[in-house]
This record gives sequence, structure tokens and C-alpha cells, in this order.
Amino acid sequence: MKRLRDVAILTPLIACLAFYLAQAPIQAASKAATPTQTAQPASTQDSPGSKSYSTNCAICHGDNREGILPAFPPLLGIQHHLTDPQISEIIQKGKDRMPGFPDIKGDEMSSLLHYLASADPSAATAVPGAKSTSQSSGLADAGGALFLQNCAFCHGRDTMGGESGPDLTRSKVVLADVNGDQISQVVHEGRPEKKMPAFNFSAPEMQSLVAFIHARAALAASNPGGRRGVDVSDLQTGNAEAGKQYFTGAGGCSQCHSPTGDLAGVAKRFEGLELEQRMLYPRGARSKVTVTLPSGQQMNGTLAYLDEFVVALRDAKGTYHSWQIANVKYNVNSPVEAHVNQFSKYTDADIHNLMAYLQTLR
Amino acid sequence: MKLRKDASALAIMAILFLAAGPIHLAAQNLDPANLLKPPADSWPLYHGDYSGKRHSSLSQITPQNVANLSLAWAFQTNQGAQIKSSPLLVDGVLFFTVPDNIWAVDARSGHQIWHYNRPSKGEHIGHRGVAMYKGWLYFTTPDCHLISLNAKDGSVHWDKQFADPNQGYWSTMAPLVVGNHIIAGVSGDFDNLVGYLRSFDPETGETQWRWNSTPPAGTPNATTGGMTWMTGTYDPELNLIYWGTGNPTPVLNGQTRPGDDPYTCSIVAINPDTGKLAWGFQVSPHDTHDWDAVETPVLVDADFHGKPRKMLMQSSRNGFFFVLDRVTGQSLLTVPYGPVNWNLGIDKQGRPIPDPAKEPAPDGRFIAPDEGGMTNYRAPSFDPKTGLFIVDAHPSYSIYFAKPADGTYGWAGADYGLWGKGVIEAIDYQTGKIRWSHELGPGGSGAGVLTTDSGLTITGDAFGSVLALNTSDGKTLWHAGMGDPMQSSPITYQLDGRQYILTSSGGVLFAWALPQPTPASLHSQARGN
Repeated sequence: MKRLRDVAILTPLIACLAFYLAQAPIQAASKAATPTQTAQPASTQDSPGSKSYSTNCAICHGDNREGILPAFPPLLGIQHHLTDPQISEIIQKGKDRMPGFPDIKGDEMSSLLHYLASADPSAATAVPGAKSTSQSSGLADAGGALFLQNCAFCHGRDTMGGESGPDLTRSKVVLADVNGDQISQVVHEGRPEKKMPAFNFSAPEMQSLVAFIHARAALAASNPGGRRGVDVSDLQTGNAEAGKQYFTGAGGCSQCHSPTGDLAGVAKRFEGLELEQRMLYPRGARSKVTVTLPSGQQMNGTLAYLDEFVVALRDAKGTYHSWQIANVKYNVNSPVEAHVNQFSKYTDADIHNLMAYLQTLR
Repeated sequence: MKLRKDASALAIMAILFLAAGPIHLAAQNLDPANLLKPPADSWPLYHGDYSGKRHSSLSQITPQNVANLSLAWAFQTNQGAQIKSSPLLVDGVLFFTVPDNIWAVDARSGHQIWHYNRPSKGEHIGHRGVAMYKGWLYFTTPDCHLISLNAKDGSVHWDKQFADPNQGYWSTMAPLVVGNHIIAGVSGDFDNLVGYLRSFDPETGETQWRWNSTPPAGTPNATTGGMTWMTGTYDPELNLIYWGTGNPTPVLNGQTRPGDDPYTCSIVAINPDTGKLAWGFQVSPHDTHDWDAVETPVLVDADFHGKPRKMLMQSSRNGFFFVLDRVTGQSLLTVPYGPVNWNLGIDKQGRPIPDPAKEPAPDGRFIAPDEGGMTNYRAPSFDPKTGLFIVDAHPSYSIYFAKPADGTYGWAGADYGLWGKGVIEAIDYQTGKIRWSHELGPGGSGAGVLTTDSGLTITGDAFGSVLALNTSDGKTLWHAGMGDPMQSSPITYQLDGRQYILTSSGGVLFAWALPQPTPASLHSQARGN
């Protein structure tokens, strides 16, 4: 009876497998641009653990533990987030749609666990600059497929920017990331203010994605000459003196800003594209709001939410309050709107000159 | 006793079934004639009908009673992908998609009938929906397969690959069914690839014809691109399909493709039987800002400046509203519907003239609108009574860069959005003047628009509310928070005498309707309580 149940579980798996086999040539071709999987060293390839893997696991998790995403997770680096007892329990009992393998035990289990903990044999061909086994090429390949499905539209297939998403090889998050600590947070939570959605990847999926992004960043960093994207040196075409005149004159900037006040040293805090983006429109700038209640009482604070129906503020103590707009009167003071009003007036020269001037405020 | 009760119930059901008429006898079977004049209890095409007006004759829900609108049911897909598709409704069953997935859902109750899932490699940015021919559905996949399925149970009828994902193609679009043609298009901006439309035999999947937007890759001084990633419209009298084509490639660098780059960023008229081009109109000659012209080519028959016309209208991603004579492709009106700063006037043919100084440059060019454009794939609607073309507009600014190191392949540059907002604009098609506008919030909403004969405009705001506006003045009459901004275009239908409005948010589909008496309340009424 038990055997029958296993067959029942395996049947859909085999159906999936048939599909994946049909896809196999496509996968192989898609790897053409990345380091190819080379022959494995004899030591791990011939080990009993390797044989057990080939017989029992490779059908779903790939010949080189790279997984077949999104359906089957990669097992490379699994020792970083599961202990041997946890892994052996999953092998024995199964998990979700993965069937259990109760016949794997004793020496076979030990050697399989040993094999699963071994480094990716193809890591030797990994991208220069890779720091750990989690950046091995097999894992990065798996992450590449995931990246293509979920991220490439915005960030470009090569991670260097695409429709609306920034170049990740220059991203502060990526550069500061150690083994996914920064990247995974952004991916899991999204960046609603920039319209980046949140993604619910499993730990192995995330690990592969991180490996891929780091491999691409390392590749980009190894090619410093002729770098794509926007460099600080690209944004030096303006005239600082003309920019200063625009700042105090036609631009109206000096009505709110001062080179010796809020903008003192601004070029030390920001540079290049980030400085230019903030200059044109500082995202996340706060607005103030005053709400008058039916009783006549007035509430002041930072505008926390405003649509057609509800207004909300955060008061000086940090407490959130909200009201139906039909019940109150409110008045928003939003200095950042001055940036929006300027949009229709700028020439490209104004922007380049203003940028040159701001870069003198060091 | 139980048997007798069941038998009598069966007999009643049988009588009801027969009384319901021939449409119900042909369950999950779409009569091709219905595509020419869709009944009120159906939404058998991506845009509801061939015209792309997304205007419904239904009038149960009105400006007067819409304040009572409430949730009839919600369907939870329980997965992360956002619903960006327009459902089809045929014989009481809704069919809608996200990448790799189709659901068949009972339109009365919102319960699942079947679910099809086929994991695939390739770009999963979104999916617009399925097409239907007789009893078959047609579904495109991220790895560029066109799959025909049995609408009764989702079993696969045939499966054809129609583009090569390894070259960089993918597909998201809902095919268009015209006669015995299943017409599908492709996506792909990261490689210098030729865009095309391909027509398939509904029964066998054999290719009937292929129309290429651009010359073969590698042709000297010629463009590639012109992807065909949104569903077109069809005029049965002229027997022409109308399709928008995408941007040229390389995307932000136009140096290797001098000239206008036909037929990228264009509206094209094609014979659906032969695949031959009747005419083409470029809304963005020599585009360097990724402004695909794939927005719905809306077909309207009405007077233009006192003369009856067969017109085509498009609110294009490049910021201009176009009215064309769809018999000839001649321009009737070209006017911006928000801030644009990239053109040097309009040429004699009614096309904006691109300003060379506004092509992406190493030190950046300040451009309106942004790359997402003044509008995007979510559909506008045309309201015949008021003559208003109602669109979810996106006034916006951005900076575009390109330098030699960016090369001449694929994206070939970089661009950064600075600011944008969402506004519903009601455009007078005779003049291009904006009669009213309704602010939706910062960033933009992304919702499509539906209008109804009763004078309602249904859309969504930037915060996640579905809105019912008064079509005559744009004022809000009803709203409900759905949790996340709508990324699809609403539809409506009437079943068993009850009108439903369908919207989506995240992975959830919502059906809204006026409250109807419950069996209990009917019972108490009957007893005089």
C-alpha cells in the first residue's frame, strides 16, 4: 500500500520530468554565455554518495545539484541552512511534494550527506572575484534562470539595468551585500516607494539569485574601462558659474535652499547620478499637514497618507492618526512640489549647469 | 423517498436547463458568430469585443445606485504574481491568467473549476490572458509556446513553439481570434530581434502566415524590434486587423538605425487572411525612448468635424493622442495629452518630429514622459454617448543616458524615472481637449478603464482602491480598497439578470455587484414578514 502511494506521488513527478526533459536543450543552450559545467573531479564523482545522488536525487535536483527552478530547488550550499539531521529527515520522510526515501540509511545516508556538503565541483570555473561556495557557477546558473524569470525585465538580463530598474552591478545594496544579507531583504520586502514588488523566494532560490547577482557584479567590476551606465565623470559637462546664477535666479532654488545651509557639503554626501536625481526630485521628501477636526481642534504632523478618502499624519510623538476626509478639513504644505513645478521649465543645459554648481558644494 | 426527491430535482433541473436555451447547451463552446456581436452574458475577447472600446451596454449598475455596490465574491490565486490579464467569460465560466497559469472560475460563485500550470523558463513579467475559438483556449507562455487547451478541463489540445526564447523572445499577450485565425505576437527588448505577428490554424496549430515589423537582423542601417506584445483590434467590414508595434532596437541608441525605423512604434493595418500590410502609421518615428505604440487601437465609427468616419484612436505611450482614418491610415488629429518635451512639432503626415537634441546622451537628457510612458498596456475606454476617450495617464519626467560604452545591442543605454503621477483624463476626440481629469495619486495607478452605457467609468487609483466615476464629470461615486493597485483592465458582464464588475488586485480577482435578496430574505418576504 505504501509503495502504491509512492507511485502515486511519483507519477506527477515523472510527468513534470518528461516536460523538463523536453526543455533540456533550451536550458543547455541558455547556459552558453555563462561558464560551462566542466567534468567533475574523480574523487566526488565516483564516491558512493555521488552515486546515491545520481540514482535518487538528480532526476529532480539536477545532475550537479543545480536544481530545476522554479519547481525543484538547488541543493548546492544546502549545508548552510540545513543541518545534517534535518537533511536526512527530509530524505527519509519527504517534504511537500518530494517523496521520502526510507531505504536510504546507514552508510549510504552518511555518504550522501557528505556528498551534499561538498563544494560545487564546477566552482573552479566560477567568475573571478567569487568569494565563497555560495557563488559557485552551478548555483549562479540556477539563479540566472530565476533572475531571467522574475527580475530581468526591470534590471536587464545582465543585471545592468533595463525597463525602469537600476543597474545592480552598481547598486549600493549589492556592493554592501555579504552572502545575501542585504539583497534578500530587499527582494523579500520589495521597495514599494520605487514600485519594486516583493518576491517570496525560498532560501535555496534566494541563495542562487544572490550568487548570480554577485557573479554579474564581479564580472562588471573586472571590466573597469568602458564601463556601461552612468559614471560621475559623465556628469561634468555643465558650467558651475551658470549653474550658480540659475540657482539664485531663474531656477528659484535659493527660495528654499542655501549653499551654506542645507546644501553645505552636499557634494560630499552624494555624487554622480544619485546627486542629480536628488537635485531634480528628492524622493521621500516629507510634507506637513494640518487637520482640523469637527470640534475645531487642530492636529499637526508629517503627512503619512493621503488619498481621496483618508488623510493621516504622524504627530511629534510618532503616533499615527487617520481620518475620513469627509469628516475633517486638512491643509498640506509640500515644499517638494516646487521641484515638480520646475520640471516644465528646465533645459538640459540648466540641469547640467546646476549639477556643476552643486558639485562645487563640498 | 430520497431517490424520488433527487429524481424530481433532476427533472426540474432538466427543464430549467432546456428553458435556458441553446447557448447553455453549447457549454464551453464559443460560437464564432458571437465574436462579432458579443452577448451581454459574455466577454469572449481580450477587449470584450473587436472594437477595443471597452464600453459595455449594460446599465443595471448606474450612477444612482452604484453607492450600494458590494462584493459578490473574490478569487484568491494564492501565488505571488500580479494579475495583469483581462478574463474571458464564456458560458458562465471565466478564464484568466498569470505567467504559466490559467484558471477557469465559475463567474457566478468565484469557485475554481480547473487550474492549469506549466512551469517554464523565460521572462515572467506579466500575462494578459487567453483567447477562445469554439471549445478551445489559446495561451502564450514565457518560453514562446502557443498552447491550445480544452476549455472544459484545461487538457492540452496542441502545443507549438512560435519564437525562440534562447534568442531573447518571450510572450505575454492574449492572442486575437479572427475567423479561423489565431493571431499571436512576441516580446523581446534585450536583443536586436525582429518583431512579428504569426497566424495559426485553430485546429492544427500550423502557421498560416507571418508578418514581420522590421527587416531581418543584420540588415545594414536598418532597425530591429517592433514587438507585437499587445492584443490588436479588428474591423470585420474592412477585414483588417489593427495592431500596435513596439520600440526599435537597439533601444536607446538610434545611431545604427538612421531614419524612421518602420514599422516600429507604429499602428499597422493587416489583412487577417493573408498577413499582408494594408497601411502603417508611425506614431514615433526613430524612437529612442522605448515608447512602444502597442496601446489599444480603439475603433470608433462616428462623426469627425461633421463628417461620418471610420476612425482609429490611440493614446500612445509617447504622450500623444492620435485619431486616424482607419480606412486609409491618414491622420485626423495628433495632440499631446500631458507634458511632452521630445519633439519639434508635428509633420505633414501627423507624426511628431523627434528632436535630435533629446536623444539619450552621455551627460543625460531630461525627458517627458518617462520610459513607462504617458500610458501603458492597461486599456483606455471610449464612451460613445459623451464622445470621451478615457485613459489612465501618467504625466512624468525622467533622464536618459547613452554613451559609446553602452554599445549598440539591446538596451544600449540607461534611463531613470524621476517623478510621475496618475490621472484619469477624459479626452474629447474631436479636439484632443481634456474635458475633465481625476487625480489618482503619486507614481501612477496602472489600472485600465471600463465605461458603461449607464454613465459609469470604472478604474483604480494609485493606492489600491477600485473607483466608480461619473463619466460626465469624473467625480467619484463609489470606491473600495482592494489592498494593492489594480494592474489589469476591468470587465463587466450580466448573468441571471445580475451585472458584475470584475477587478483585480495582486493575485486576487474581485467581482462586484448590487446586493441581491438572499434565499432567507425571499422566504420571509413570501411569508409576509
